[in-house]
Amino acid sequence: MTDHTAVVVGGNRIPFARAHGAYSRASNVDMLTAALDGLAARFGLAGRRVGEVVGGAVFKHSRDFNLTREAVLGSSLDPHTPACDLQQACATGLEATIYVSNKIRLGQMVDGIAGGADSVSDSPMAISDGLRRALLAANAAKTVPARLAALASIRPGHLVPDPPGITEPRTGLSMGEHQALTTMRWGITRGEQDELALASHQNLARAWSEGFFDDLVTPYLGVTKDQGVRGDTTIEKLAALKAVFGRGEGATMTAGNSTGFFDGAAVTYLADADYAAEHHLPALARVVDAEVAAVDYTIGGEDLLLAPTYAIPRLLARNGLTWQDFDYYEIHEAFAATVLATLDALADETYCRERLGLPEALGEIDRGALNVNGSSLAAGHPFAATGGRIVSTLAKLLHQRGTVDGRPARGIVSICAAGGQGAVAILEAC
Amino acid sequence: MTERVVLDAAPQLAPMLVSSMVRGLVRRATGRRPGTLPDREVVWTHGQDVDRVAAYQRLCGFAVRDLVPATWIHVQAFPLQMELMSAPDSPFALAGIVHVTNSMTLYRPVSVREELTLSSSYGPPREHRRGVLLDLVGEAHVGTELVWRGVSAYLVRGETLPGMLPEAQPGGVHLPPDVEVDADTVWRLRADLGRQYARVSGDMNPIHTSALGGKAFGFPRAIIQGMWTHARVLAALEPRLPDAYRMDVRFTKPILLPSSVRFGAHLDGDSWTAVVRERAGSKTHLVARISGADRVPNVP
Repeated sequence: MTDHTAVVVGGNRIPFARAHGAYSRASNVDMLTAALDGLAARFGLAGRRVGEVVGGAVFKHSRDFNLTREAVLGSSLDPHTPACDLQQACATGLEATIYVSNKIRLGQMVDGIAGGADSVSDSPMAISDGLRRALLAANAAKTVPARLAALASIRPGHLVPDPPGITEPRTGLSMGEHQALTTMRWGITRGEQDELALASHQNLARAWSEGFFDDLVTPYLGVTKDQGVRGDTTIEKLAALKAVFGRGEGATMTAGNSTGFFDGAAVTYLADADYAAEHHLPALARVVDAEVAAVDYTIGGEDLLLAPTYAIPRLLARNGLTWQDFDYYEIHEAFAATVLATLDALADETYCRERLGLPEALGEIDRGALNVNGSSLAAGHPFAATGGRIVSTLAKLLHQRGTVDGRPARGIVSICAAGGQGAVAILEAC
Repeated sequence: MTERVVLDAAPQLAPMLVSSMVRGLVRRATGRRPGTLPDREVVWTHGQDVDRVAAYQRLCGFAVRDLVPATWIHVQAFPLQMELMSAPDSPFALAGIVHVTNSMTLYRPVSVREELTLSSSYGPPREHRRGVLLDLVGEAHVGTELVWRGVSAYLVRGETLPGMLPEAQPGGVHLPPDVEVDADTVWRLRADLGRQYARVSGDMNPIHTSALGGKAFGFPRAIIQGMWTHARVLAALEPRLPDAYRMDVRFTKPILLPSSVRFGAHLDGDSWTAVVRERAGSKTHLVARISGADRVPNVP
């Protein structure tokens, strides 16, 4: 078997829109289809059979059991293109990229598309367990009296619907409440968080004005640019916002330094390096390696969103790299404090030794190399779409940079996810 | 000589509650009651109800599976406790008796398909600064094999019995009223949880099923059955426990319905210490300790 190299050819997404706004009539299938069509147009994939399209959504309707396949069938891709749904909360897009690149590296396919979509506006609403069980029992009943008996068990309280939750089922805490515990534990200040949020907005606004996203984004439903970005925001404006998570002195997390609810979709086109060359497709960056990790946050006292701190050292060790060996760091901004706690944890001797079992701390990084073209605080965070946005952005950044000291520019992506999980991946410029 | 009473059907809790209440009123009026605990063992052999186990597991936060939690065996032995305590020759009426501690040991995993022979009897009464502690000792056998043993301590306020032992006994529950364990996990207890738990457990005490019942006993609203909270703690830790375990619980403050509480647990060696506290305040509702079970005691 020959060695195969998986490269990022390019990406496409729709601008991320505020929830209950421009995309409120679009479903996950609609948005994912739009992202695929834009990608197909960009790389001449219309009518072409792609190896596999892999994606998912976090807020998913039960009717969308084949969300990605439905999007393929609605797109300009050859209907013979297979698809697979995959979901790992906010790491969905990155996990899909890992899946596709692994198949390419194994020689199982020459190209594939990874991504995801999420709509808060069109989120599924479940009926209560009581009503659902009564209806299921009535449906299964073989006689009329049995059916009536099942329906008679319905109580008025059962009629209250269950909106989708972002609370962790085993802790009853929302992600923000979890992060507030982490923020307190690591002593992350309001000022640091606001500065990181400001940088995200300024960097994303600059990248938009420089045209960086011209070949990464396709307008959708009249939206041409990410709606979350506020290039004109200031540290004073951010400092004036009221805290929404945490209590007392720990109340440092605001709507400005936490991600809000967004709708959107993003996809990344990956291919075998040789295939890309033969077909005159661009190759932006090579997918080098990836690692996923999880933390014991339910009763182990670990931080819900710091699973990447476990994945990063394992990934570095396997690749013979240090934490300082990267030219770009893309750390998903679920909350500004998540990024800061991740960096603090990896620079903390006690945490690295006792929690991670490392001989010493990984140390500090050059903050100037962090999320250089903005990240989720400014762009918005439609959960499953974020991985695709970040991978495509980093691949383009690396390609533009080319080489550093005679070696390919190198970047790392880190995404935390619900359930105390995290996915990280290394990309190198082609 | 211990009297052995073998039941052929589950005792019905509601009639027992009513007759015990009437008897309590009569005794209060006459000032006369039996002076000692009856020396009796109540025994009942039965197969378990898969649907009821599933409903119990779901309501208490367990995975629905074939192996039953230790607290479920207590739920099945509970009617036998009630049968003993509501008997005409039992000295105290049920109303006003407070469940203060519980200790149970699961000696090996028990499947929902196994037929259990459950028994319940009084242990020796113990002193308490506010009255007398009644120990209800339960056992569950599969055939002749002891698979579960539990001791529930109930406090009868302002009463005494002859021959009381000191409160602290070897092998008993030794839990402080509070422990230093962080409690960050939030459990939201809905208003109808007491009624739902009553349906799966049979514990229909009105103090748990209606605000009126709660008020009758001096609470502003209904309170959740302590055994639900007990089970919920076990459910949170069950995936990390060995096959055979002992769980001790001290009930320190009832939980009103509806409400939110905080839970946390800490592992020290092979022993978990867990706590349930108020969501907003710092008062403790329940303290628990769970560790690997001792070996099955020698059966004579």
